[in-house]
Amino acid sequence: MTARTVRRIRVTLPALLVLIALAAGAGTLAVVAVRGQPPATRAQQVQQIAAGLHCPICKDLSVADSPAPLAQQMRQEIAQKLNAGQSASQIRAGFVAAYGDTVLMSPPRHGLAGAAYFLPAIVLIAGLIAAFTLLRRWLRAPGPDQLESDSSPPVSASERRALAKAVARLREEEPG
Amino acid sequence: MRARLTRRRALLLGSVVAVVAVIVGLLSTGLGRDPSVIASPLIGRAAPNFTLPQLTGGKLTLSKLRGQIVVINFWASWCAQCQDEQAALNQTWQKFQDSGVVVLGVDFEDTAGDARSYVNSAGVSYPVVEDAASRTALVYGLRGVPETFVVNQAGRIVDHVIGPISAGSVANQINSLLQKST
Repeated sequence: MTARTVRRIRVTLPALLVLIALAAGAGTLAVVAVRGQPPATRAQQVQQIAAGLHCPICKDLSVADSPAPLAQQMRQEIAQKLNAGQSASQIRAGFVAAYGDTVLMSPPRHGLAGAAYFLPAIVLIAGLIAAFTLLRRWLRAPGPDQLESDSSPPVSASERRALAKAVARLREEEPG
Repeated sequence: MRARLTRRRALLLGSVVAVVAVIVGLLSTGLGRDPSVIASPLIGRAAPNFTLPQLTGGKLTLSKLRGQIVVINFWASWCAQCQDEQAALNQTWQKFQDSGVVVLGVDFEDTAGDARSYVNSAGVSYPVVEDAASRTALVYGLRGVPETFVVNQAGRIVDHVIGPISAGSVANQINSLLQKST
């Protein structure tokens, strides 16, 4: 194994480990965000659905957090619909049918608002590509020792001749 | 070499400008809209049916009014803006009650006693029902009171007004529906 390969491994390995750690962290966050913890009781189920709905008569409060009578009624409605066997998505769809997408705390996955879901992923991928490209360019760039040996410009034949003449002249002028 | 570098810089600058333009475009579409005036998704759809108790006794079912234009007004005795539009509602009822038009008040988050005393003092003569559990309000996507829905003779919602109505605009809507039916 050459010295250059060892140096490259020394530089690349920590960078790779950092990338792997970042990817693992992002993956874990994504799984937790998508799946979350399944609610154990009916009250928790109601709370979870209510937390995803805007209180229609409040400003910036979810149905779960609002003390407004209409929000209380919405929570009761959610509980009744769950008891009737409706799924969380069916219940949300019912409120969307009456209020539109604006009743949802998170933007819908379709239309212009859907950009909120794919845009961060695109930005992340672009960032990773940029980081990878920069890292590669940085690794390929010559080191300071290489720079010193390689930085001198090539000497042309005429320059060599002029140099030889100048050396000969100096030797002639040398005393003794 | 220099030309390649300049092209690369131009490409980078172009990409940054494009990304900023997309973000500004997205923000301006959102900021350009008035969040308090949200179009009801119910417009053009069948008015959700309900059967509710009337303040004067008995029950009223919306579907039984099919064939007539129904002006459904959600209100409450504690709501100041509802008092502001009361004259317009009374006027609409008096003008069109013999032309196949029903004005229907739906009392929202109120007590029957307060509602009755308000109805008596404000000279309300059109039918008023109680939505004690707010279930009808939720089905109609109510965001507050007053809110008014105009239902055509086929039972479809054709208009939704957030805030107090004006007698003139409701009359125009009703006249237009009456003309279509003749």
